Amino acid sequence: MLLKLAWRNVFRQKRRTILTLLTMTGGFFLSSLSIGWMDGSYSSIIMFFTNNRTGQIQVHHEGYLEDPSIYSTVNDYQAVGAFLDSIPGVRSWAPRTYSGALLAVRPRGAGSGNVFSNSAAASVIGIDPVMEEAATDFSDRIVIGEMLSASAADSSYSATGQIILGKELSIILEASVGDSLVMLSQAADGSSADRMYVIRGIVSTGNTDIDRNTCYITLSDAQILFALEGKVHEIAVMTHSLGTVDRLTGEISTALSEKDLETDSWKTFAKEFYNGMKADEASLKVTIFVIVLVAAMGVLNTILMMVLERRREFGVMKALGTRPGFIIRMIVLEANIMGIISVIAGGILSTAGLLLLSSHGLVMDPPLSYGGTVFREMIASITPECYWIPAICVIITATTVSFLPALKAAHTKAAKTLRTV
Amino acid sequence: MTDKDVIVAEGVVKTYDDSGVPVHAVRGIDYTLSKGEFTAIIGPSGSGKTTFLNVLAGLDTPTEGKVWLSGKLISDMSGRELSDFRRDHIGFIFQAYNLFPVLTVEENVEYVMLLQGVPPEERHERVLSILEKVGIAEYAGRLPMQLSGGQQQRVAVARAMVSRPSLVIADEPTANLDSKTSGALLDMMRQLNEDTGMTFLFSTHDEIVMRRARKIVIIRDGKIDGKASSEEIQ
Ligand SMILES: Nc1ncnc2c1ncn2[C@@H]1O[C@H](COP(=O)(O)OP(=O)(O)O)[C@@H](O)[C@H]1O
Ligand SMILES: [Mg+2]
Repeated sequence: MLLKLAWRNVFRQKRRTILTLLTMTGGFFLSSLSIGWMDGSYSSIIMFFTNNRTGQIQVHHEGYLEDPSIYSTVNDYQAVGAFLDSIPGVRSWAPRTYSGALLAVRPRGAGSGNVFSNSAAASVIGIDPVMEEAATDFSDRIVIGEMLSASAADSSYSATGQIILGKELSIILEASVGDSLVMLSQAADGSSADRMYVIRGIVSTGNTDIDRNTCYITLSDAQILFALEGKVHEIAVMTHSLGTVDRLTGEISTALSEKDLETDSWKTFAKEFYNGMKADEASLKVTIFVIVLVAAMGVLNTILMMVLERRREFGVMKALGTRPGFIIRMIVLEANIMGIISVIAGGILSTAGLLLLSSHGLVMDPPLSYGGTVFREMIASITPECYWIPAICVIITATTVSFLPALKAAHTKAAKTLRTV
Repeated sequence: MTDKDVIVAEGVVKTYDDSGVPVHAVRGIDYTLSKGEFTAIIGPSGSGKTTFLNVLAGLDTPTEGKVWLSGKLISDMSGRELSDFRRDHIGFIFQAYNLFPVLTVEENVEYVMLLQGVPPEERHERVLSILEKVGIAEYAGRLPMQLSGGQQQRVAVARAMVSRPSLVIADEPTANLDSKTSGALLDMMRQLNEDTGMTFLFSTHDEIVMRRARKIVIIRDGKIDGKASSEEIQ
């Protein structure tokens, strides 16, 4: 009887009910899409950011992140790498050295004398071309020229090496592919390090800050030049999915801590980036809260009008000996019937919307920028959160918003409302 | 008080507070209604008929005085107790029919028995039999708005009687009906009173209704101003 009464009451004011259903369905749809879209953009931004360069997990010598000294090395990195390879969930890893140097360009056709034109200070990253290729999409970002050759035919100290410049750095140096430059620095053993390089490629990582002051040479070149045989400063670890990162970080950290190595996830070593993401997540919550609030106002309005219109009916129910609890349950049930219909309709609509957004993506205009990396297209992902969060919001809203009017209706004074004169 | 008394009211006073101004609607009434009566309370508009009926029916509490219904002191019952008491002991017929618009005739009549927890088969039988008696069995599946005023009021009579209350109270049951329909409704109610022995108490200022009452109580300015039997009315 309760259900029958509630169900029929819901549909007696068809126009108003439809408006309310639209409000609730709209609220569900919007929050569902926001969640799916934000979820999707988060993971795609994070994966893009980390696959581009940093990896999701990094291994360093203890304390390297706070104080990145050239002496703070991961020794016997091949052994660490072999261990990483044995962990399921690890996709690949890439060893790197970091140091600084002064670069001076020797223009083409300048003869054999020491004629240099532009110079600049730069970070020098030593990368293993094969490992890097497997781990990151670094080579895809080379805009002119080629990737460092894997075979690095002759890496004896005297031979000329290969170098890749960041795009902005190449502009500062007014150097392009084929030009030679000399690198001046200090090795880890204190000796002076200098060597000739031919520019093999220009890279644009999407992060102009990095591209302005970074150049890349092969790991073996770097190890020779900076006296770091067998040592690296960083091992970037790539995982298959973002969801496993925290677990894997813990696992690797435990295994490597006795070697004085430190393992961190992107949340730590890319703190700024991570905080930016968290701030955005907070603004998503505010957005959903506002959507829910607007929908709640609409529903509250409907329930209030309905309770007001039906005062006489509640009076009759009371006169006939209906207990207040029955009336409260009836009205809360009415609101929840509308809620459930909205959840079903919203679920169907949202699935359609999310499928569209996840297959086509949304072009960002203006483009989104995170940690210097620019994103032009975002893709939604369909997660359980896209459904259960809006569904719970709708049901909780319907229940809370209808409770007070229901309480009021349940305590209608029969003698008063039934007076006709 | 005897077993035959359905209502005993002693010194009933009801004073409303109309934003600070006291309105003396009922000014001290002693009254006894016996089992099987078919009594009309008459009096001019504003004389306190509705107020008095509401107090007797436990819809309103008296400012002073005591009311017993079926031997139970209802004038100081609490809300919930009173609510259950109304459900089990009083049938209501309202001036404006006041059927539930979303329920069919059958469901409207069934409603109070549902609250009482009467089993479904019994409910069904009782609904059919009472609809038969009030002469609208053929409309059992209709919604109230598909019926005329007279038919709706017959449904209301059925709803009031089906739970077998000690008393049926009707406040101006014919006020919204034309004279022919009013006469027919009252004839039917009186027939039911004679057939079932159900006690009826109603208010009216309608000639047609008064003529069919077996007893009449006259109220003026919140006080009983006289009584008459049907013979005296004729
Ligand atoms: N809730 C109320 N507040 C104030 N005065 C009221 C209220 N209800 C009724 N009255 C007054 O009480 C008196 C009796 O009213 P009522 O019982 O409705 O008389 P009747 O039913 O005979 O017309 C009238 O003067 C009416 O205005
Ligand atoms: Mg009245």
